[in-house]
Amino acid sequence: MNSSLLTPSAAELQLFPHIIELGTIKNTCIDLNAFPVVTISGIKILHVLDGKFQWCLNKKEYIFYPGDVALVLPGQIFGSSNGVLEIGSFSFLHIAAKWSRGEIFWDKWSSLSASERTAISKILLLNDPLLITRSNDVGKIIKSIQQEISNQEVGYFARANIYIDEMLITLARQLTRQNNPGRDFSKTFMKLEEALRGDISHQWTVDEMAALVGLGNTLFNEKVKSYSGFTPLNYLINIRITEAIKLLKKDTASITSIALDTGFYSSQHFSTTFKKFTGFTPAEFRKNNSYAK
Amino acid sequence: MKCIITIELGTNAVRIFAFDLNGVTIGSMKGYYPTFHSQPDYSEQDPEQIFITMLYVLKNLLNEYIHPKKYTVLSVCFSSSMHSTLAVDKHGIPLGNAFTWADNRAKKEAIEIKESTLADTMYNSTGTPLHPMSPMLKIAWLKKNDSEKFQQAGKFLTIKSYVVHQLTGEYMIDYSLACASGMLNIHKIDWEPEALAFAGITTDKLPTLVPVFATAGILKKAYQNSLGLSADTKILIGSSDGCMATLGAGVWNNDRATITIEDSSAVRVVGKKMLHDEKKRVFNYLITEDCFVSGGPSNSGGGTFEWFAKQFGDFSSAYDLDSCMNSLLQEASKVAAGSSGLLFLPYLLGERAPIWNPDARGMYFGINIKHERQHFIRATIEGILHEIYSVGKMLNEHRHISALSVNGSFATIPLCAQIIADMFNKTVYVTKNTNSVGIGAFLLAATEMGIYNSLDDAAAQTEIAHSYTPAENQHRVYQEFFGIFESLSHKLGDEFGKIAELQGRG
Repeated sequence: MNSSLLTPSAAELQLFPHIIELGTIKNTCIDLNAFPVVTISGIKILHVLDGKFQWCLNKKEYIFYPGDVALVLPGQIFGSSNGVLEIGSFSFLHIAAKWSRGEIFWDKWSSLSASERTAISKILLLNDPLLITRSNDVGKIIKSIQQEISNQEVGYFARANIYIDEMLITLARQLTRQNNPGRDFSKTFMKLEEALRGDISHQWTVDEMAALVGLGNTLFNEKVKSYSGFTPLNYLINIRITEAIKLLKKDTASITSIALDTGFYSSQHFSTTFKKFTGFTPAEFRKNNSYAK
Repeated sequence: MKCIITIELGTNAVRIFAFDLNGVTIGSMKGYYPTFHSQPDYSEQDPEQIFITMLYVLKNLLNEYIHPKKYTVLSVCFSSSMHSTLAVDKHGIPLGNAFTWADNRAKKEAIEIKESTLADTMYNSTGTPLHPMSPMLKIAWLKKNDSEKFQQAGKFLTIKSYVVHQLTGEYMIDYSLACASGMLNIHKIDWEPEALAFAGITTDKLPTLVPVFATAGILKKAYQNSLGLSADTKILIGSSDGCMATLGAGVWNNDRATITIEDSSAVRVVGKKMLHDEKKRVFNYLITEDCFVSGGPSNSGGGTFEWFAKQFGDFSSAYDLDSCMNSLLQEASKVAAGSSGLLFLPYLLGERAPIWNPDARGMYFGINIKHERQHFIRATIEGILHEIYSVGKMLNEHRHISALSVNGSFATIPLCAQIIADMFNKTVYVTKNTNSVGIGAFLLAATEMGIYNSLDDAAAQTEIAHSYTPAENQHRVYQEFFGIFESLSHKLGDEFGKIAELQGRG
């Protein structure tokens, strides 16, 4: 083994409580039971430098070649199914993060805005597999973080944290590009539709929706409009109203709870939007379609 | 000023047009809705989403083009894709999603009836090929596989019947869509008891059968208010997209055929009698008592070419499919007819007419060392059009076709229109207005209003923009290759079945 590894006890990491581990493993002979499958807390990013590894990521087996990146999210299991650490080398970064209510949270060291965090977290959670192929950018960023922390030049604290943000941004962008190769918009749009329907109570922003399919806002708006006839927000409202109609017809839940379940800020917001789309207020609609005996 | 609005509930989107009484388009808008494929062979749409999308697009169109200019809307005429099936409970509330025409879950039921003694009598009485697309088979599937839903169902509707019911409270179905259900006796113009028995239902489970010109009730007061329409605006039940595309193409009661190629395609003729095909390959949809639209649908078409473009085209910027397809077409136009002997069978989605084989699969045949990328591009286009030719050939067995009218986004591409002319060795006409479904529905509404005496008169109004003359030498080339194309599509039956089965496993 010719490796470097920093753990929280390391002096270099005193200023970085959010870094759980940072290092490079160079393995020159097969090591049995050195790499078991474990549940990962936080976000772990591994970048293969050399060799070939068969790892189990989120219950599925993948083979990683040089340049490939494994991204493990909080609570996911990761490791080698037979526990073996194969010959080769990889660098990795493990940072503290929590998974809660369908979103991944990390601490204030990050300068990403709240909406950027939400968008990145959505992208990481909605893409599967979390194997990013041929991503040397990720490898370079890990190396830069290692250098900043070991050289400790002026501004290294800020710069190392900026690199971690950079890493999250790079991962999110590469994941969306890899999974939406820019050829089949109907397929991409269907994925978006599923994501929206899967979490319709979430206050989606156009930024988040665009990020999810890997497009900039301008191109995203243009493509959605020409494909669907709707602006992205109107398309989203269309889905919200569709779901609300089903719930209103069921005649059980209160209008306020339907409003919140389908992603409206308030029953007032629900009522005006619903009227704009259908011509009825939700209460009128329910009365017109009520079959309660 | 007066106007007519047409609403097309299509496969992927609702398209709404407003026309003045001369048939000039005042404005149009579309709204997309998704199709869900939760399992192979399943193809579903959310009826509430379709309704709300239609309502919103209609409202926007009225507010943008109609109300500011103080147009009076005389009628709103519907058309829709065929074969959709939606179960609603006794209060009219949908029991889940609607099954679209492309839903193939009733495969077993289709085989069962095809192999039974019912097959001949059923085709003779309904004029509709026995295929999983048929709502009769979909209902039979529900009875067997989802008995809870089947028991709960108060009615089995089409998507159009559902949308119209939301607007007016009436349950209605027009003759042409009723034909597409596989349950209408087209000679008696009434539900066919044998078909209902196979589906396991009685007539009370179906909407009221009405002519295409029927008024489907009065727009509900609340919608009159929100849309700014009056109770006098007629809501016309209309017809199917296929029948309307035929009417809009101006093909009516003569020896012309229409070729429609969008994502999928169809070749159709119109006549006073059902085309009785011994092999049961031809559909016959009744529009009025003495008028049948007969033809054959194909699963290949523009969608097949789009598949090719997405896999093998060059994308200069993200999702710019249009310019990618344009450059492919340019490359294809530089290759001589016949693609130097490279053939393509376009059965990516199985095939309906003329081979009616859901297991059929695509293939490039005859590849040699000299074939280059551009040969594959042209072969793909020629393969799609060879298939159209084979549907046309099937119809020609029953009725002499002397000229063709083409519509739809793929067929009207000049390169494609010319290849069609050459393959058939017949003149091809392209109508001025490429939106044939909307025009067809306009002509239907205008006929109902008395602007035209009959649908024949109405169809005669469509204007021709271009025509393509066949080139004899090209025709000979295509004929030679078509012989091989045709025998391959029949010879490979066993292999199609085996490969489809392996693909189905995983």
